[in-house]
Amino acid sequence: MTILAGLFKDNIKTVVPIVAVVLVLNFTLVPLGGSLIARFLVGSILIIIGLSLFLFGVEIGITPMGSLTGSSLVKTNKLPVVLIGGLILGFFISIAEPGLMVLAYQVDFVTLSAISAWKLLIVVSIGLAVIVSLGFLRVVVKMSLKLFLLLSYLLIFILAFFTQPEFLAIAFDASGATTGILAVPFLLALAVGISRLRRDSVASEEDSFGLVAEASAGAIMSVLILNIIIGTQEYAVASLEPIELGNAAVLSPFVHLIPEALKESFVSLLPLTVSLFVLQKVLFHLEKRQFARMVKGFLYAFLGLVVFLIGVNGGFMEIASEIGLRLALVENKVWLVVTAFALGFFTILAEPAVFVLTHTIEDVTSGYVKRKAVGAALSIGVGSAVALAIIRVLTPSIELWHILLPGYIIAIAMMYYAPNLFVGIAFDAGGVATGPMTATFILAFVQGAASAFEGANLLRDGFGMIALVAMAPIITLQILGFIFQARSRKQGVDTGAEG
Amino acid sequence: MQKANSSDKEFELICVIVNHGLGSKALKVAKKAGVSGGTIVLGRGTADNRWLKFLELTDIRKEVVLMVCEKSTGRRALEDIDRVVKFSRPKHGVAFTMPVGAFIGAGSREYEFKVPNGGEESMFRAVFVIVDKGKGETVMDVAREAGARGGTIINARGSGIHETAVFLNMEIEPEKEIVLMLTPVDLTDRIVTAVRDGLKIDEPGNGIIFVQSVSETFGILS
Repeated sequence: MTILAGLFKDNIKTVVPIVAVVLVLNFTLVPLGGSLIARFLVGSILIIIGLSLFLFGVEIGITPMGSLTGSSLVKTNKLPVVLIGGLILGFFISIAEPGLMVLAYQVDFVTLSAISAWKLLIVVSIGLAVIVSLGFLRVVVKMSLKLFLLLSYLLIFILAFFTQPEFLAIAFDASGATTGILAVPFLLALAVGISRLRRDSVASEEDSFGLVAEASAGAIMSVLILNIIIGTQEYAVASLEPIELGNAAVLSPFVHLIPEALKESFVSLLPLTVSLFVLQKVLFHLEKRQFARMVKGFLYAFLGLVVFLIGVNGGFMEIASEIGLRLALVENKVWLVVTAFALGFFTILAEPAVFVLTHTIEDVTSGYVKRKAVGAALSIGVGSAVALAIIRVLTPSIELWHILLPGYIIAIAMMYYAPNLFVGIAFDAGGVATGPMTATFILAFVQGAASAFEGANLLRDGFGMIALVAMAPIITLQILGFIFQARSRKQGVDTGAEG
Repeated sequence: MQKANSSDKEFELICVIVNHGLGSKALKVAKKAGVSGGTIVLGRGTADNRWLKFLELTDIRKEVVLMVCEKSTGRRALEDIDRVVKFSRPKHGVAFTMPVGAFIGAGSREYEFKVPNGGEESMFRAVFVIVDKGKGETVMDVAREAGARGGTIINARGSGIHETAVFLNMEIEPEKEIVLMLTPVDLTDRIVTAVRDGLKIDEPGNGIIFVQSVSETFGILS
């Protein structure tokens, strides 16, 4: 079975459960219209095709380029080159991220242009660039990831203290948005490429993870600092309109989405593509065959991304919002929470970046940490996060930080007991979990549920969901680390080896 | 079971190449058949087709399973693996065995290199050391001190008799490193002994060493 065929099989396996959940709901609690279901099914098929092509492109194009860039930078053996390389790449990846652009325009709107979209975009990109560069430095000076993350989160907590709540919301959202569909595979591969050259193979493996986590933290910090510089102001509280229900047509919504998807995919791939050609001339000097392969990988990724975005936006958003709204009106609220868990549980596995992360983990550890195990931990984490988000919608007295603060304290405390490898994986997974699937399907579901209640603030509730989804996997994956650590001790042999 | 002096045992290296995901299964079956352990390496295979090549669709993920065991056990294990993997069908993988001259670890302690089946003795031998992840560099350091000129570390995962844990219905196979060194015949003993003592291979759970005879080498400069 070739890699592409394998990807198709994998993606069918991840999308079918989502379809099953929706169909079961359709025939039991919330009968949905025939055209809505039809569009959902078309969307699912497009997602399967799009995901497979995109991930294949990532595998033969973006991942090799990332790890090659990482190793080539280190091989120059000049610290300034490595640091400047990190700055430039970090900036480029972030500024082209479609999710971040959407967020920037939202912020522009909410703050009545007090903070322009461009200002936010550039501030977050600079933040990301600086932290990616520092992340490189961390590997070079052999500072532990735990210490780096601890300092980062400490700084975030201190900054958060001086920030107004709206900005806290934007900051966490920005971190979810920057570590998106292209940044994650590239950052992961970059980290693998840099750490691969270390002589100590255990440390090299541990350093392969953590860069995505650092990037997430960088984005949060930059927004918080922006707020402190600008100073607290009163902003009009704007709320987003609920998603409108479309007409009865099945295929035409997809056709309308094509130009937007083309544009978005092109813009997000452009910086990496330009970097690829520049780096080939300056640094890589690859053989023609190898270079052609990477370029073809980019083409696959582009094609896949277009199809994927059309599928998600055309078929998944409305149905999710409709399910959320109708379930919220059902007398027994338990169903709403259970559905939230189920949707979170299954949807996360169809998140493109999750697939890339689990694959990278399997490759780096030669199959010791299996995809299935990481997937299970992620599913449980995100399922719980979405259920919590819904509970928060149902009981407005729970503030976001009532969950976030203890959650992060637990996550950071666990860091000191979990195996190093899993700390990196877990914090990376936090950034990885908030991709286009969560940002559309799950977000629409939560907002749909919220719109059933008067006084619910769509922006606030939606944001809460993303912050929770980013936090929960950090905890569940570290628990997985404990389990692996306990289980891989040798039985009946005293090796004296530490975990 | 015939009781034989351990130095009379003939060892074999079984090499099974299967599609990604089947490696652990093959290893599990082999262990049931009596093989003491095995190591899995990730690999890539390619299909040969001009059109697929243009579309870059030729790559196939593979897993290579390496196991060293006594000849008769190996025969049984291979038959059992064949029943699961079905090698006779196209695209179901390949398996082959190679004679092993000496094997240390997993209960086997005699070190005495035997040239298998009257094959001619060459100038070099291939020494394979399989240890826990992170110890590969130590192996190289020790071997270098004993006269080895270089070696290659291969990332792998695997499990021996002391490592069996199940989580969510899948076996946890700890990470390993395979160190492959080509050593001149007259130095092999010294290098093997150095690694054996340096990494305490004789104590259970610390890894294995096996040595194979090599018929031709290129690129080793003296």
